[in-house]
Amino acid sequence: MAPVLPLVLPLQPRIRLAQGLWLLSWLLVLVGGLTLLCSGHLLVQLWHLGTFLAPSCPVAVLPQVALAASAVALGTGLVGSGASRASLDAAQYPPWRGVLGPLLVAGTAGGGGLLVLALGLALALPGTLDTGLEEGLGTALANYKDTEVPGRCQAKRLLDELQLKHHCCGRHGYKDWFGIQWVSNRYLDPNDQDVVDRIQSNVEGLYLIDGVPFSCCNPHSPRPCLQSQLSDPHAHPLFDPQQPNLNLWAQGCHEVLLGHLQGLASILGNMLAVTFLLQTLVLLGLRYLQTALEGLGGVIDGEGEAQGYLFPAGLKDMLKTAWLQGGVARRPAPEEAPPGEEPPKEGLPEA
Amino acid sequence: MALLKVKFDQKKRVKLAQGLWLMNWLSVLAGIIIFGLGLFLKIELRKRSDMMDNSESHFVPNSLIGMGVLSCVFNSLAGKICYDALDPAKYAKWKPWLKPYLAVCVLFNIVLFLVALCCFLLRGSLESTLAHGLKNGMKFYRDTDTPGRCFMKKTIDMLQIEFKCCGNNGFRDWFEIQWISNRYLDFSSKEVKDRIKSNVDGRYLVDGVPFSCCNPNSPRPCIQYQLTNNSAHYSYDHQTEELNLWARGCRAALLSYYSNLMNSVGAVTLLVWLFEVTITIGLRYLHTALEGVANPEDPECKSEGWLLEKSIPETWKAFLESVKKLGKGNQVEAEGVDAGQAPEAG
Repeated sequence: MAPVLPLVLPLQPRIRLAQGLWLLSWLLVLVGGLTLLCSGHLLVQLWHLGTFLAPSCPVAVLPQVALAASAVALGTGLVGSGASRASLDAAQYPPWRGVLGPLLVAGTAGGGGLLVLALGLALALPGTLDTGLEEGLGTALANYKDTEVPGRCQAKRLLDELQLKHHCCGRHGYKDWFGIQWVSNRYLDPNDQDVVDRIQSNVEGLYLIDGVPFSCCNPHSPRPCLQSQLSDPHAHPLFDPQQPNLNLWAQGCHEVLLGHLQGLASILGNMLAVTFLLQTLVLLGLRYLQTALEGLGGVIDGEGEAQGYLFPAGLKDMLKTAWLQGGVARRPAPEEAPPGEEPPKEGLPEA
Repeated sequence: MALLKVKFDQKKRVKLAQGLWLMNWLSVLAGIIIFGLGLFLKIELRKRSDMMDNSESHFVPNSLIGMGVLSCVFNSLAGKICYDALDPAKYAKWKPWLKPYLAVCVLFNIVLFLVALCCFLLRGSLESTLAHGLKNGMKFYRDTDTPGRCFMKKTIDMLQIEFKCCGNNGFRDWFEIQWISNRYLDFSSKEVKDRIKSNVDGRYLVDGVPFSCCNPNSPRPCIQYQLTNNSAHYSYDHQTEELNLWARGCRAALLSYYSNLMNSVGAVTLLVWLFEVTITIGLRYLHTALEGVANPEDPECKSEGWLLEKSIPETWKAFLESVKKLGKGNQVEAEGVDAGQAPEAG
């Protein structure tokens, strides 16, 4: 049974491997910790912006999976550092012998699986985010005037604070505000002719104006903010609506939020890729160290040359062995199986 | 009759030295923290120096920075001394320096305590600086074309949005100054001409505020102009309307922010001061215990450590005597010179 990817490891290279593995493990712990913090930060940001993301959009899955994956990576790093430290000391290694095998399997399966899932989610995020934000911001804009409706009364405050903090206006631009009614009916004078005209001028009976809320105002503008009658060039002296101006924030909140969240997700994706690489290296190193020391029978300082390998035999052979062992357990007649195997094996060295 | 005598045997001395070594290195960390806090405070004051007419006093952050650096230096030196204290050969070279070093430490502790007190007392001077600075800042709000002042509008708007405040003491401060630049006023309009004629200085005063005073918590869209005219807006009463604009003045908002900051920094500095006092006392005990070792060849012997060799009144008397002797010493010398000259003359 030929081992897969064997590597001869005499004493000095074994010690070097253990020391290098110890360094790599602490690096993995550091990177895992940073990824943990990064995914926590993204989770907090998504929670804050929860009102502007459609509830059907499962965006929070990415940071949660990333949290789990980075926790597993952290654990792998700690195990790796402990095991590599112990492998240099004959007294400390025996307790690790039994534990290392299952831990390696858990680390590879759990950690690897979670990391691949998280990376996949990070790549798929922009699409889901786009649709989620589109829907969420549209709802928020429509609910802006409903400051008296329970369940929607916070929409005005949250949207104003969003526009003030992220320096944006409307969904894709300030003209989005012209298409919805953002003034509550409670503050409209039913006796005012202008109000009646506006309500009657459209099919849905909405009070539409060419004005924007105060939170769209840009403090960099040299003149006091112009919020109303924005399409009328004669309403304000020295104001030309065709000119790009500093009066209002130029960007829409959709683009700003998308860019902000995508930036965070791409940083997280990069960190997850680095964690994946480091974790693979640490797991490989641990496996080689474990098999080399098993070959020596657990004796650390053995001067003999041990062989480290990934798997004791190829995949086909491993499956055969597992199948045969299962057969041995069921039927007490093991003589037919091994002799059947011997002739083909002996045939190979001759050839 | 020594003050607070404590008996030391070899083991206790070693433990004291080791404990002091650890505490000194922790104290170096504390010194770095104080340095960081001083730097942070300085940056925060610099950020809003426009609101304070660039005349704010940087005494507290500068002294915190200085104290942090000094603390690092003194405590690493003390750590080295404690490390060497266990080896009689190495300790011998530090012996003559220890008494003046302890005196310097006591002085340092007194100054640190005074700096911590100053953190709590700065609030008073900051209040007057802020009131003055904000008033001037608001006056320059409209000068967006004047080089050197064109940023004032942006600064005040960002300040009012960030600190959730309006004006100096309240939003009515904006009624008393012209905050709209002449460049954007239509001088052919009758309304503008009336307003300018209505006051002595020829300023365009409105009962309105900039947009940055608006409170997002208000259920209705923000009312910025004609604030005192109830009939200008539907269902509006300016006497009872509370949520439309920010109620707090920016002076109070900034003052409370800086007070909280200084109080926390002051509390941390006091804690560090207590730590330093403990270290100084420990160092004094180590010094006197090692001095009291009767036989330098036998390190196992017991010794006594104390804070002061005699009780406080006796120590104070001895200190005064030594000061008088210093004065008398000069007198005796002068008399000696005169006496020497007199026989020569005679």
